[in-house]
Amino acid sequence: MLPTDHLAVVERVVEHPLPYFSLLLAVPRGWADLAAGQFVMVRTGSGLEPFLRRAFSVHDATSSEAGDRIELLIKAVGRGTRALAALRPGARLQVLGPLGRGFSLAAEGPVALVAGGVGAAPLYLLARRLAERGQRFDFFYGGRNRTDLPRLESFAALARRAGGRLVATTEDGSAGARGLVTEPLERALASGEFRFVYACGPMGLLARLASLVAAHGLGGEAALETPMGCGFGACLGCAVPRPDGRFALCCQDGPVFAFSDVAW
Amino acid sequence: MSAPVDLSVALGPLALANPILTASGTFGYGLEFAHLTDLGRLGGIVTKGLSVAPIRGNPPPRVCETRGGMLNSIGLQNIGIERFLAEVLPGLERFPPRVIVNLFGVSVEEYVRLAARVEPVAGVAAVELNVSCPNVQRGGLEFGQDPEVLARLVRAVRAVTGKPLIVKLSPNVTRPVEIGEAAKAGGADILSAINTLLGMAIDPVSRRPRLATVRGGLSGPAIKPVALRVVFDVARQVGLPVIGIGGIETVDDVLEFLLAGASAVQIGSALFRDPTTAERLVTALADRLAADGVATLRELIGAVRLPS
Repeated sequence: MLPTDHLAVVERVVEHPLPYFSLLLAVPRGWADLAAGQFVMVRTGSGLEPFLRRAFSVHDATSSEAGDRIELLIKAVGRGTRALAALRPGARLQVLGPLGRGFSLAAEGPVALVAGGVGAAPLYLLARRLAERGQRFDFFYGGRNRTDLPRLESFAALARRAGGRLVATTEDGSAGARGLVTEPLERALASGEFRFVYACGPMGLLARLASLVAAHGLGGEAALETPMGCGFGACLGCAVPRPDGRFALCCQDGPVFAFSDVAW
Repeated sequence: MSAPVDLSVALGPLALANPILTASGTFGYGLEFAHLTDLGRLGGIVTKGLSVAPIRGNPPPRVCETRGGMLNSIGLQNIGIERFLAEVLPGLERFPPRVIVNLFGVSVEEYVRLAARVEPVAGVAAVELNVSCPNVQRGGLEFGQDPEVLARLVRAVRAVTGKPLIVKLSPNVTRPVEIGEAAKAGGADILSAINTLLGMAIDPVSRRPRLATVRGGLSGPAIKPVALRVVFDVARQVGLPVIGIGGIETVDDVLEFLLAGASAVQIGSALFRDPTTAERLVTALADRLAADGVATLRELIGAVRLPS
């Protein structure tokens, strides 16, 4: 599907524990078929600041009689995201998408989904699609504290539906086990439970996962986040180093990359 | 309804249906925008800078947002002239807009090779030289910073091309007019101004520069007054047609550049905010001139009313 720039209507703003919230947007017919991991570029204001659009992965995409709708799970951290948090139903938002390449759904057998904080955003749609296909997955969800695990219960429900479980970790122990999400994951990988790992989160986490995946001879994909100018391959601003020394573009070649296609 | 406004404009040997072009580096090779905006409505497009061989570009981070603009340090990443001509240009020829190739090299010979390569290519309407590149034969000094070096470069390119020749001026010099005069002496037909302003940004938390290369090129509305001043000076003092570039986003911005002396404009980073900006401005400009009772664009060019 070719991306279009669309004036989307805000249908709902869903509060999660601060600083997280969701925007539900009415979008053109057909968008509900986008791939998990694809993203949109959102104009967060009409003035000169913020100057650039903001990239958000699509958290969920659904279709009904009334039309197609996407959900963006957002962490209010800067000027742009705080402006979005202040939106009310009925507001209109310029949204360019769907952009980039999403997760492949080619993996056989049980898979592991690994999220770090707001990196959970694109994994919800992926988890839902996997559950609908009847593919088993476990969801490893790590954050600094309990509020850093938005929609924890929804992820747990999806994992149960897929015959798997949710494993939460927090650095302060306020939810799940105290520690890093890589610790329970490493144990699970060592026991040979999974053939494939899907992930999204901070670069440090993804780099660690890349070496774990390689060490266990598994396949895997990660959704990356980089500074981005345009979102569709024109500005060449979102370079991702590749193992061959050249650069891929996060917006076009990604944001989902095989772990082995990135020089971590 | 009044008669439709004539937006056509001739910049020396380069005739355009309207004065709205896209700036190099902000419109990819053109086709990236084909499904987002009507390329056929643009006066022309200027390609991403092209070199003899492909260039892989700078390490990330390459872009960062600033107040009223952005910094970039892409490092001239491009697919090289041959791939552009073989894979991209045929796709662009489906669209009426004129294709201007932006060329750069690290030596006079490379610029000459590139200009000679596109000379017989019918789909290339004009050549724009990016002279804000380090000259390896002169210790890395940019071609566009020394009038003598620039005049020699332009003369060498002029010798191999009959296409309209545009030289893109850098604002990072003390006297842009002097550089513009050197380009004219070398045989340039048109000047475009300005390229990005050198800038820098630091993340106060990590204490690191926001760009991997530390410095980068500033673009966007933040640089518009600087661009307007350079266009004004160059248009009045050099005597070549000028294409204005720098922070243009609204029809008022376009009018300011025309009044300052530009015969056409290029839209840059605004295209990242809204990929239809250039197309929108073609319509908005026609509407505005009609509303103001201006019959032709030409009567606005350089028509700023100066204090006596």
